[in-house]
Amino acid sequence: MFQIGLIYLFIVTVGYLILLRIDRGRTLLSLQTAGRSLTRLIPLLVAVFGLVGLFQVFLSPAQVEQAMGASNGWLSLLVGGAVGAVSIGPPLAAYPLAGSMLEAGAWPPAVAAFVITWISVGIITLPFEASVFSVRYALLRNGIGFLMALLVGLLLGVLL
Amino acid sequence: MSGQRRGGLWVLIRSQWLLLTVVGLYVWAFRHDADRALQALQISATTLSSVLLLIAAVFGLVGVLQVWISRDLIVRLLGREGGIKGLLFAAFCGTLLIGPPYIIFPLLMSLHKQGARWAVVTVVLSAYAVKLQMIPIEVEFLGWPFSLGRSLLTVVLAIPTGLLVERLMERRSR
Repeated sequence: MFQIGLIYLFIVTVGYLILLRIDRGRTLLSLQTAGRSLTRLIPLLVAVFGLVGLFQVFLSPAQVEQAMGASNGWLSLLVGGAVGAVSIGPPLAAYPLAGSMLEAGAWPPAVAAFVITWISVGIITLPFEASVFSVRYALLRNGIGFLMALLVGLLLGVLL
Repeated sequence: MSGQRRGGLWVLIRSQWLLLTVVGLYVWAFRHDADRALQALQISATTLSSVLLLIAAVFGLVGVLQVWISRDLIVRLLGREGGIKGLLFAAFCGTLLIGPPYIIFPLLMSLHKQGARWAVVTVVLSAYAVKLQMIPIEVEFLGWPFSLGRSLLTVVLAIPTGLLVERLMERRSR
């Protein structure tokens, strides 16, 4: 993991050096934007990775298997989608959590549903979405989005 | 004075509820079983440090995309295209767009008011579940087959989702 990070950082740095020659002002602005987004995320990163540790030590694979295992089928899929839909956070936070679930033996379709609903279905943001668009739109989009997340999970299960 | 302090506390709870919850869980864990709590803390620290460079690199990319392809530019381009090309473009934009709902929703609503279809708005919000610039991080945690499969399926299904929501939206207003 560390090496891949290093390679990535190298590529991005080279990109920045090239952009610096093209447009100095915008490149410095990009760097500033990147730094600001990252520092704003630090508390969340600490929280999510803290949760990953707790997850691995205190939840036994048997418990994860019971809630989101392949043997439960539909129920696991619903649990995955529902957990993602009630939680809210940036995409970045969903991946480590989903990784812990997979490692503990959760069913991949349920984990995929979790990742998708985490990002694009929001029970907590529903009132806000309704006030911006309309109640009808917010309900339709989140309802259909939830079902689609389950469908993506199922199709992924067929593919994998 | 005390009202102001309570306001500050509320802001803290609302913005950092996850961190506060996790801290609370750790307090509980250390009382319950200090050895395992320490073990959990160690796992957290190793996992975080192993991906920190990758996260820093990805955010470098995020900064570039945000400045060179701004949200406003994306929205302006989205308003122009119609038909299936517009929907495909909307799916692509959704995978690149980042930002919290309180910025994205009003932005898309202004787009709709300027004449963009409901399908376009919905496709953007569905494809939003894929983040192209974050794929390296997703792959680190979930592996190539999972990440690639999930992303492709999400983007492909975003278009029928958009059309379906649009149909249901227009059915009653007619």
